[in-house]
Amino acid sequence: MTSYGLKQRFSTVVVYVFLGVMAFLSIFPFLWMVIGATNTTSDIIKGKMSFGASLLVNVNTFLTQVDAPLVFWNSAKITIIATVLTLLISSLAGYGFEIFASRFREKLYTLMLLTLMIPFAALMIPLFMLMKQFGLINTHIAVVLPTVASAFIIFYFRQSTKAFPHELRDAARVDGLKEWQIFFLIYMPVMRSTYAAAFIIVFMTVWNSYLWPLIVLQSNDTKTITLVISSLGSAYYPDYGAVMIGTVLATIPTLFVFFAMQRQFVEGMLGSVK
Amino acid sequence: MNRKTVALAFAGASLFAITAAQAAEITVWCWDPNFNVAIMKEAGEIYAKSHPDFKLNVVDFAKADLEQKLQTGLASGVADGMPDIVLIEDYGAQKYLQSFPDSFAPMSDKVDYSGFAPYKVALATLDDKVYSMPFDSGVTGFYYRKDLLSQAGFQPADLQDLTWDKYIEIAKVVEEKTGKKMLAYDPNDAGLTRIIMQSAGGWYFDKDGNLSIEGNTALKAALEVIQKIQTAKIFRPAAGWADWVGAFTGGEVASVTTGVWITGTVKSQPEQSGNWGIAPIPKLEIEGATHYSNLGGSSWYVLSGSAAKDEAIDFLNEIYAKDIDFYQKILVERGAVGSLLAAREGEAYKSTDPFFGGEPIWQTFSDWLSKVPSVNYGTFTNEVDSVVAAHQPELANGASVDDVIKAIDEQAQTLVQ
Amino acid sequence: MSAISQRRMRPRFDVNGWLFVGPALALIATFMVFPILHSLWMSFQTGLGVRLSFGGMKNIYRLFNDPLFFTALTNTFIFFLVQVPIMLTLALITASLLNNPDIKFRGLLRTAIFLPCVTSLVAYSVLFKSMFVANGLVNTILINLGIVDVGIPWMTDPFWCRTMIIIAITWRWTGYNMIFYLAAMQNIDRSVYEAARIDGVPTWARFLHLTVPMLKPVILFTTVTSTIGTLQLFDEVATITGGGSAGGAAGPGNSALTLSLYIYNLTFKFAPNYGYAATVSYVIVFLVAVLSFLQFFAARERKA
Repeated sequence: MTSYGLKQRFSTVVVYVFLGVMAFLSIFPFLWMVIGATNTTSDIIKGKMSFGASLLVNVNTFLTQVDAPLVFWNSAKITIIATVLTLLISSLAGYGFEIFASRFREKLYTLMLLTLMIPFAALMIPLFMLMKQFGLINTHIAVVLPTVASAFIIFYFRQSTKAFPHELRDAARVDGLKEWQIFFLIYMPVMRSTYAAAFIIVFMTVWNSYLWPLIVLQSNDTKTITLVISSLGSAYYPDYGAVMIGTVLATIPTLFVFFAMQRQFVEGMLGSVK
Repeated sequence: MNRKTVALAFAGASLFAITAAQAAEITVWCWDPNFNVAIMKEAGEIYAKSHPDFKLNVVDFAKADLEQKLQTGLASGVADGMPDIVLIEDYGAQKYLQSFPDSFAPMSDKVDYSGFAPYKVALATLDDKVYSMPFDSGVTGFYYRKDLLSQAGFQPADLQDLTWDKYIEIAKVVEEKTGKKMLAYDPNDAGLTRIIMQSAGGWYFDKDGNLSIEGNTALKAALEVIQKIQTAKIFRPAAGWADWVGAFTGGEVASVTTGVWITGTVKSQPEQSGNWGIAPIPKLEIEGATHYSNLGGSSWYVLSGSAAKDEAIDFLNEIYAKDIDFYQKILVERGAVGSLLAAREGEAYKSTDPFFGGEPIWQTFSDWLSKVPSVNYGTFTNEVDSVVAAHQPELANGASVDDVIKAIDEQAQTLVQ
Repeated sequence: MSAISQRRMRPRFDVNGWLFVGPALALIATFMVFPILHSLWMSFQTGLGVRLSFGGMKNIYRLFNDPLFFTALTNTFIFFLVQVPIMLTLALITASLLNNPDIKFRGLLRTAIFLPCVTSLVAYSVLFKSMFVANGLVNTILINLGIVDVGIPWMTDPFWCRTMIIIAITWRWTGYNMIFYLAAMQNIDRSVYEAARIDGVPTWARFLHLTVPMLKPVILFTTVTSTIGTLQLFDEVATITGGGSAGGAAGPGNSALTLSLYIYNLTFKFAPNYGYAATVSYVIVFLVAVLSFLQFFAARERKA
């Protein structure tokens, strides 16, 4: 009895230590970034680990070099449109692939997964030529479109749909619901935690996306925050203080989305299914 | 009523101004907000004084980003969305000119190139046409901490005519007396190798652009120096650019040997004012060896698909090839040493700098600039450089220089095609 | 089995099915498949920049005689074989611990562990470089703890450089994979756990025999996507080992040169050889296709 209690307590301690170490290691670099935002460039390079007095100077440098409202607006616009479209189109397809039968289904699906496997560097030039033919160079649509065509998120939705209870769908059919109604009224609410995870992942990916926006966006007024930070960080003698301000600011929206969405993990299906 | 008319007139005027400006807007891509971006904006303002219609749109990217965009655009043959003027690092000049023929506009019939440092003109020449407006130079210098070296018993006069062997001897004394290493060195970067090699008129390629590794005396001598530096352990290892910069700005090492563009960075530590001096870089002991070399540097190019091509060339020519005052301004404000030799006759070039103990450093650098040996950077400098850099750590482990050169040659052969 | 019975029962599902998957397929065909075919065509071209000509099998021949290609291939496999299992195991254990409602501060811990993957790449590279330099934070801590006597040569020794890259990737992507596991765990019925717990089944056995089998579709998903991610590994190696003035090596002795970095160099850093770059990228396609097939196959096998 006592030995069982001790053992129990011991394993609880182990669990907390493990999670604590994981969390610390994860948060440490972020902390360093926040500290860096208050230090001068030379202190940042030296790896100074305490808060400095240069926060306002850094903010000022950042704001004079960067049109912050514009680049944040560009990033937000692209990210929100791309995320919503990706979730809608990919979940429709993920659900469709798992639920509906067709002779071509698995072949098409495999073919689609193959598109994940080619490195993006190899596609950039053909894709750029294509965008040119559509007349979309230097537009935000050109950033959004290839993102929305995401085999990766379709793959995720299909794998997650395997856990979707078939009884629910059969019952809905008996009740006379149309296929699209089943999808929007039953599947979507039930799969909340999957949508939440996908939302976080897509939002983060698009918000931080770099290579493709860099290639298609040409002028200063279309640039996103990620592009701006990258060019700040690559001077002969970069102002790392301003870079840190930029990275901290650029991280906030994703963190906010994560906070907002993670409640879905806790609640998950508990509410609506049972 | 009045106010309304005024407002309308104002709106009309600005509308007009926009259309006029669009007709003459020149777009430039470059990469360093505190350096070439700021300098280009300055150039635009000067030119606009005599050309009121002129409007310059300077877009800055990270250097690697700019190269990606430029190469994607050139490869797709897409003219719109491309800039009118672009900045290209000198090592890549021939790669662009040869990979994308007819994409850049020759300027030799409009620009008088006799006034520029000869090596800058040679590197942008293809089939007897010159395609660039030479911009900043990477003429090299040996920047040293006077205080630390005199503590070790070496006065500025002792450092003016060094060989690399002597340099290594000094380094050992410096560490013994001050506890500081002589230099910060990143074994994964071949910058120092290139400096030493070019100082003796050598490169990875011969004058005709053919790969020249085995039998290249300058490369061999350079790698021997690199090996001695590594085995004598006179360096503080550096990992990447920021760490390397941090080593000398943070006072961890006694010297740095690199391009003149580092001057601004060296001067970023006001408390070290007066403690720094410059000397010519040490020399190899082979035929053709000099104290002068180059690292990096870049030039402006005009795209031949540009609608405002002629105006862009005229703009570059008026400012960068003729305006001596402009060069004084960018030297004082940005520490940029241009490659127009006549610029050194200006006031700023004659000025002295208290940071370097009152030496006329700019005059000195521009003297060295005119003596930098001309080499052919060829089409494949980056390829071969990555191979050389990958083999440098082996030298530290005592591999023979001849074996390393053989291995480099073997790998480089497949890349150079 | 169920697919067959469904088809027999309701053949008109096909029309609905096409409506569901149609928009996605149209987009993928336009913006993925078409460029992929274009690049396949490019892989048969040789020459620099726009001076291309049809080269037939020349690029394949070059591939087999290219020492740098084999360096990149070896490095990529080292990263894949060592890193993916470590990261996914870590992510799975963390997720199942965080899924326990008795753990306090769950929300905070979850957020903290997820944080690395939202950090911008620029900050990430500055940070890792400064932490792992010779006299940086990591070596200082290791020396003070008495784990090592002299600093580890992270940036100058091939083995330690690869280790550092593996640490960096694991740091960045463990929390990311944890998200998928956490989301999937919501679909597991709690009562099964309760029953097992009351029956005295130990924690590790519950994890191994209940959690893992039920998460199999998502584990398969993360395995396949991590395989793809690691075989296309680029960001970490490019930003942490890059930054030299002209060419520069990818880590000591090119120990961090991956296939994707090599493709990137062939396209952008070197004299642009689009045809050869495309050929190397089809090597990745081939490898991922084979590995994914094996992974799907292994997953199916266990099911039967």
